[in-house]
Amino acid sequence: MHSLDLAVIIGYLGLITFVGIKLSSRVKNAHDFFLAGRSLAWWVVGLSIIGTNIDTNSYVGASGNAYNVGIAQANFEWIGAIPAMIIASLIFIPLYWRAGVYSIPEYLGLRYNQGVRVVAALIASVFAVFALGVAMWALALTLETYLGWPIWVGILVSGTVVGLYSIAGGLAAVAITDSIQVSIMFLCGILIVGIGISDAGGFGAFATTLTQDNPNHLQAYLPADSEDFPWPGVILGLGFVLSPAYWIGSQSILQRTLGARTQWDASASMMFAALAKTFIPLLVVFPGILALVMKADIEYPDMALPWVIKNVLPPGISGLMFVAIIAALQSSIDSGVNSTSLMITRDIRHVLIKNHNPEKDLIVGRYLTLVLLLSSMCIAPFIGDLGGIFTFLQTILSLFQGPMLALLLLGAMTQRATPMAGLWTLVSGVLVSAVLLLALEWNLLYVAFVSFCYSMIALWTVSGFTEKLSDEKLATLTYRPWSRT
Amino acid sequence: MIDLPVAWANYISMGIFIFLGCLVWIVPKKAVIADRPITDRWRDLRIWAMVLIALQLGIYWVFS
Repeated sequence: MHSLDLAVIIGYLGLITFVGIKLSSRVKNAHDFFLAGRSLAWWVVGLSIIGTNIDTNSYVGASGNAYNVGIAQANFEWIGAIPAMIIASLIFIPLYWRAGVYSIPEYLGLRYNQGVRVVAALIASVFAVFALGVAMWALALTLETYLGWPIWVGILVSGTVVGLYSIAGGLAAVAITDSIQVSIMFLCGILIVGIGISDAGGFGAFATTLTQDNPNHLQAYLPADSEDFPWPGVILGLGFVLSPAYWIGSQSILQRTLGARTQWDASASMMFAALAKTFIPLLVVFPGILALVMKADIEYPDMALPWVIKNVLPPGISGLMFVAIIAALQSSIDSGVNSTSLMITRDIRHVLIKNHNPEKDLIVGRYLTLVLLLSSMCIAPFIGDLGGIFTFLQTILSLFQGPMLALLLLGAMTQRATPMAGLWTLVSGVLVSAVLLLALEWNLLYVAFVSFCYSMIALWTVSGFTEKLSDEKLATLTYRPWSRT
Repeated sequence: MIDLPVAWANYISMGIFIFLGCLVWIVPKKAVIADRPITDRWRDLRIWAMVLIALQLGIYWVFS
């Protein structure tokens, strides 16, 4: 590695640690730790949302897929994100904000019952521990590949840097460091596009080469009989279910919006994130297409991005790109530990331990952040062996997406959904998903859509026979802007 | 399902965004502006949404 690249990497790690620790003086209580004292500006939250959303898979995996299928990979950033983000911004974020909750499980607990709250928090937390382990492993692997550090050194250094600012500074430190990290990512993305097109002989030559050799790589969708991404599945499963379930129900994404300084900032942050999301393909899809146009000599598609970094970018810039990959991972890890710590502290501990002391939330939250980081650091070296468990957990999590979206949609948009119907729909909806996915072996995208449809019908029907919440409670927990005018 | 033309996917996507663009204006301005003073027109998030939708329509038109 060039000494200039190394200087860029060390400078970045120092800057992130310094900023994070400096913000720790702001943290006086759990409200400051988990919601940044509701002090964050819309653009900080917006960039932090993007930082949380992008991980290594987005970079390496998406570039590899783009090398194979072309621009269709960008659907995850467009139809698979933008509509749900607009709806989240205009409807769900104002609702969560007015309900005064810290988390999405807490909202579900108020709208339905504490059982739904604990189940939602528990599933998300168990999955998060393994997801953190995978992210930590990927980070250590990246450090080993580029710097030659042994895996254990990579895990130790990454865990220490992330731990220092996320334990000390809470959500404020996480959000502000995320925004620095995302700015670096975009800078690198723009540089790759500029240098790459220039190396390919200009935009005209780039487009001509691509369309001559791979005419389908500029089509937004793959055919309906595509094994991986059939277009009806992408629109119905990704666009209508998985994406909304993520953008209106993911704790790690929405927690930072609840830390915004006003309700308008919270909503604006998601719109700003959606604008940034529109251009994310420049970062994660373009390198794969560039490698194809430049006829990269690679063994498998996931090598596309490393090839571009090594062969296209000059010293200093390649170090910055490497920093962008570290940043993508760090921003996902810090957001994951902070949001999981919140769910265990409040949504599980507050419900299951009746004589808990809310005054201790800050200290419990900090300890849990440390424990979660240490757990992910311990799991990381064995993630290859635990890969089967992670895949299993990922499958389990996907079973919940359809029913959870139905609970959030009908719970927020109507007064009809009742607590008992919510619990039964959650349980039966997961069973329906399990049968379709495990017994009938349907494509996951179709399972998500059908289980969502079933859950909407079940929740609507069962609610007709069971007792609903009082009008007073429903007034703050459902979206009724017209009744307040 | 197998014989559905790929071009339909682009038309459906554009249709979804046009439908969303209409829905956005059903949300009352008061609910969008929320706790900020209604002094600057740029604070109306419905306009932000329209910019995003226009970008998406352009994208799915170009890559059809």
